[in-house]
Amino acid sequence: MTTATTGSTAAGRDGGSPGSASAGGAGVGDAVAVAVTDVPSTQVTATPGRRAAGRRNRGRNLLLALWLPVVLLVGWWFLSANSTSPYFPPLQVILQSVWDEWVIGDAKTQLWPSLRHLALGFIGGSLLGVLGGALLWRLPVLRKGTNPIVYFLYVLPAPALLPAMIALFGLGEARQVALIAFGATWPALLNTLDGMRGIDQVKFDTARAMKFSSLRTVTAVVLPGASPQIAAGLRASLQVSIILMVVSEMIAASEGIGYFILYAQTVFAIVTMWSGIVVLSVLGTLLNYLFVFAEHRLLGWYHGSRAVGTDKA
Amino acid sequence: MQVFATYTRAAVVPLVTLALVLASWQAVTVSGLFRPDQFPTMTATLQALGTALGTEALWSAVGATLQGWAIGLLLATVLAVVIGSALAANDVAFRSAASVIELFKAIPAIAILPLVILVLGSTLDMKVFLVAFGAFWPLVIQVVYGVRSIDPTVRDTARVLGVGGVRRFLTVTIPSASPYMATGLRIASASALILSVVAELVGGAEGIGRAILFARNAGVTSYPTMYAYILVSGLLGIVLTGAFFLVEKRAMHWHESQRNAKDNELGAR
Amino acid sequence: MTQTLGAHAAGATPAGPPVLDVAGLRKVFNVGRPDERMAIDDVTFDVVKGEFVCIVGPSGAGKTTLLRCISGLSAPTRGTVQFEGTALTEVPDQLGVVFQDYGRSLFPWFTNGSNIALPLKARGVGREERTKRVNEVLTEVGLGHVEKQYPWQLSGGMQQRVAIARTLSYKPDLLLMDEPFASVDAQTRFDLEDLILEVREEAGITVVLVTHDIDEAIYLSDRIVVLSGSPSKVREIVTVPLGRDRDQVATRSSEEFLELRRHLLSLVMPH
Ligand SMILES: Nc1ncnc2c1ncn2[C@@H]1O[C@H](COP(=O)(O)OP(=O)(O)OP(=O)(O)O)[C@@H](O)[C@H]1O
Ligand SMILES: [Mg+2]
Repeated sequence: MTTATTGSTAAGRDGGSPGSASAGGAGVGDAVAVAVTDVPSTQVTATPGRRAAGRRNRGRNLLLALWLPVVLLVGWWFLSANSTSPYFPPLQVILQSVWDEWVIGDAKTQLWPSLRHLALGFIGGSLLGVLGGALLWRLPVLRKGTNPIVYFLYVLPAPALLPAMIALFGLGEARQVALIAFGATWPALLNTLDGMRGIDQVKFDTARAMKFSSLRTVTAVVLPGASPQIAAGLRASLQVSIILMVVSEMIAASEGIGYFILYAQTVFAIVTMWSGIVVLSVLGTLLNYLFVFAEHRLLGWYHGSRAVGTDKA
Repeated sequence: MQVFATYTRAAVVPLVTLALVLASWQAVTVSGLFRPDQFPTMTATLQALGTALGTEALWSAVGATLQGWAIGLLLATVLAVVIGSALAANDVAFRSAASVIELFKAIPAIAILPLVILVLGSTLDMKVFLVAFGAFWPLVIQVVYGVRSIDPTVRDTARVLGVGGVRRFLTVTIPSASPYMATGLRIASASALILSVVAELVGGAEGIGRAILFARNAGVTSYPTMYAYILVSGLLGIVLTGAFFLVEKRAMHWHESQRNAKDNELGAR
Repeated sequence: MTQTLGAHAAGATPAGPPVLDVAGLRKVFNVGRPDERMAIDDVTFDVVKGEFVCIVGPSGAGKTTLLRCISGLSAPTRGTVQFEGTALTEVPDQLGVVFQDYGRSLFPWFTNGSNIALPLKARGVGREERTKRVNEVLTEVGLGHVEKQYPWQLSGGMQQRVAIARTLSYKPDLLLMDEPFASVDAQTRFDLEDLILEVREEAGITVVLVTHDIDEAIYLSDRIVVLSGSPSKVREIVTVPLGRDRDQVATRSSEEFLELRRHLLSLVMPH
C-alpha cells in the first residue's frame, strides 16, 4: 500500500482510545512523508546539477515559508501606525513598551515565578504520568479497575479544578504547581500507556530470545518503542500546563505573567497589556518549538525512519 | 465459563475501584485529614450533586458552556475546512501559509483572552471567539494535510468519472481527508471545552466554569456544590468525548481503522 | 507478419473514422529540471469504432503514462490525441477508464451501488433511472445484489467487476483499461477476460487495454500495439486475425495463436 493510505490509517487508528490526543502528531507526520516522497527519484547518486537544484529548492521553500509572516508583520506595523482605537495601539508603541517594560524595566521579574511553577508542575506531572502509565501497563488488573476514573480525570477540563485547588492548597505556590502537575499528568499517562501497549509483541520475543535483562528490555525495547507516543503525550501536557499556569495566575495570584496581563487590562493600561500578550505569545511559541527541537534530537531515528525531516507540527 | 468470568470481572473491577475511591474520599474527609473548607465529604458532595441536578441554574450553566463549545467549534470547523482545502489545492499557497499556521498554533490561545474580554465583554461572543481561535489552528492543519494526502488514484478516478466541482469536493475530497479531520476534531473538541471553561472562569461568561467560581465565592457552605459542579464538568467531558466517539464510529465505519476495530472486538472475545 | 500501420483487422472490424487518433505523441516529465525524463518518445496509432486494441511493452516502457495521455489525465509534451475527431483538453464525458488498482479506485466510503451511481449523478441522471441502470450493469458484469454492500466486503475479482460496472454505467464510447486483471488470480482473470469480450460484443464498445501479458493481449485483441523499452516508440502494430469468437481453451491452443505468440515474444524480448 502507499504512504498515503498508511497515513490516513495512522491518523484514524486511535479510534476511541482516550489517549488519542497524540494522533495528530502521527497523522501530520505521515502527511509530510507523503509530501516529501512525492517525486519518484530514479537516480540515487547526486550529480552536481542535482545538488544545486536541491539547494535552489531549499532556498525557494525557505523564502516561501518566510514571506507571509514578514508581510503580516509589516502590514500590522503600517496598518496600525495611525490607529486611534484604544484596543489596538500601533505596533510600534507595543514594541516600544515591550522594550521598556520587559527588556529595560523590571516586568521580566514576572517571568521567573511563572516559569518556575511551569517547570515544576510540568516536570512533576509528566514524571507522574509516565511512571503511572508504565505501572498501568504492567498491571492489567489495576488498568481495568482504574480505567473509568483515569478517563474521567483526563476529560475533566482541568481549569475547572482551580477553585478546588485554591480550597485545598490556599493561594500559594503549592497550589500553582499542584494544578499544573495535575493537568500535565493525564495526557502523559494515557499516551505512555497507549504507546507501551502498542509495542509489537515480536520485539519482546526478540528481547527474550537474546536473553535481555529486564532493565535492558526496558531501555532497549519499551522506552524506544513507546517514546514517539510518549513525546506526543508530553507535548499535549505542555500545552495544558501553559494554559493552567496562565489561568491560575489570572484568577488567583499576585505575580506571574498571567497576573501582569490581566492586571494591566483591569486598569486599562492597554499598551502594557499588549506587551504582556506579545511576551506570553513569544514565550509559549518558544516553549513549543523548544520541545519540538528536543524531541527531534532525541527521536531523530524515529522521524528518520519515516522520512520526516520537515515536521514542525 | 471462561467467557462468563471475563465478563463479570470486566464489569466488577471498575465498580470495586470506584467504590474504593469514594470510600477513601469519605475516609480522608470524615477523619479530619482534610478540613471541610478544603474538601467536603463524599456524601455531602453527592447530595449537593443530587440537589444541583434538579436546579434550573445547573442546567442553564451546562447549556451555556455547551453553546460556547458548539458554536465555537462549528465556526472553527467551517473556516478550517474552507480555508484548509483552498490552501491544500495550491503548493505555493500551502508552503506560504504553513509557517503562519504553525506559528499561530504554537501561540497559547489564552494569551489573547484579556484582549478578547476587553473588546467583547463577558459575553457568549467572547467565549465563542476564544474557542474558535483555539480550535481553528490545529484543525486547519489537519484539513490541509488530509486533503493533500488524497490518493492520486482516487483523484484520477473522480476525474475520469466526470465528477467535478462541488460534488467532487463533497463526495471525494472530504471523505478522503476525513480520517485526518476526525483526529483534528478530537483534539479541537477537547481544547474547546477547556477554553470554554477558561472563558467562564476568567472572563465571567455564563457557564459551568463561572458557576464553580461563584460557588467557591459563596463560602464554605456551598463547597459541596462547587465540587458537585466540578464533577458535572467532568461528566460533560465524558459525554462530549463519548458522543464524538459514537459519531466517528458511524461516520467512519468504512475506514480501515474502524473495520479493524470491529474485527478486534470479535477477536478479543 | 507485416507491419500494418493504419490498416485494420480484416473482417473483424468494420472500417470507419477512428475513435481515437494518437499522432507523434511524446511525454517528457520534469521538463527543464535536472531530473528531466522522457517516458514516451514517439507513439502513433489509431483505434476505430468497435475495435479491441491491446498495448504491450516491457515494464517501465511508459504504458501507464501513454494511457494517462490518451485519457486526458495528463497533457502530452508533443503530438496530438484526438477523441472522436476533437483534440483532448479534459477527460471526455464519453470515455471510461478502469485502473489497475481496484482497491484504491473504488471509494470505500460509498456502497457499491453508490460507487456505480456516482458518474450517473454527475451526469444529471434521475434517481429512478440510476437505480435501474445500477441493477442493469451489475447483472451485465455477472454480479448479483451487491449494491448495498461496501467494496471492501467483496473479493478482489468482484471488486474489479464493480469497477468495470461503474465505468460501463454511463455507456462510454471508449473504454481504457490499465492492466485491469494484473492483481487477480488466474481463474478470475480468465473469467474477467471473457466478461470484457462479452461486454464489448453486447455494448458495441471500443476498448484499449494495457497489459504485460502477451497471451492475454492476443486472446483479447484485434490489434496489438507493441512498444519498445523506455523511452518508448511503437515497435510494431500486429494484427490478430482470430475472428470474434474466442474461447479460452480452443483459441489459446490454436496454431495461429502460437504463431502470434512466437512473433510477439521475439518483439518484446531484448535482442
Ligand atoms: N509523474 C512522473 N514524474 C516523473 N517520472 C514519471 C512519472 N510517472 C512516470 N514516470 C516515469 O516514466 C516511466 C514510465 O512509467 P510508466 O508508469 O508509464 O511505465 P509502465 O509501462 O506503466 O510500467 P509498468 O509496466 O511497471 O506499469 C518510468 O520510468 C517512470 O519512472
Ligand atoms: Mg503501469
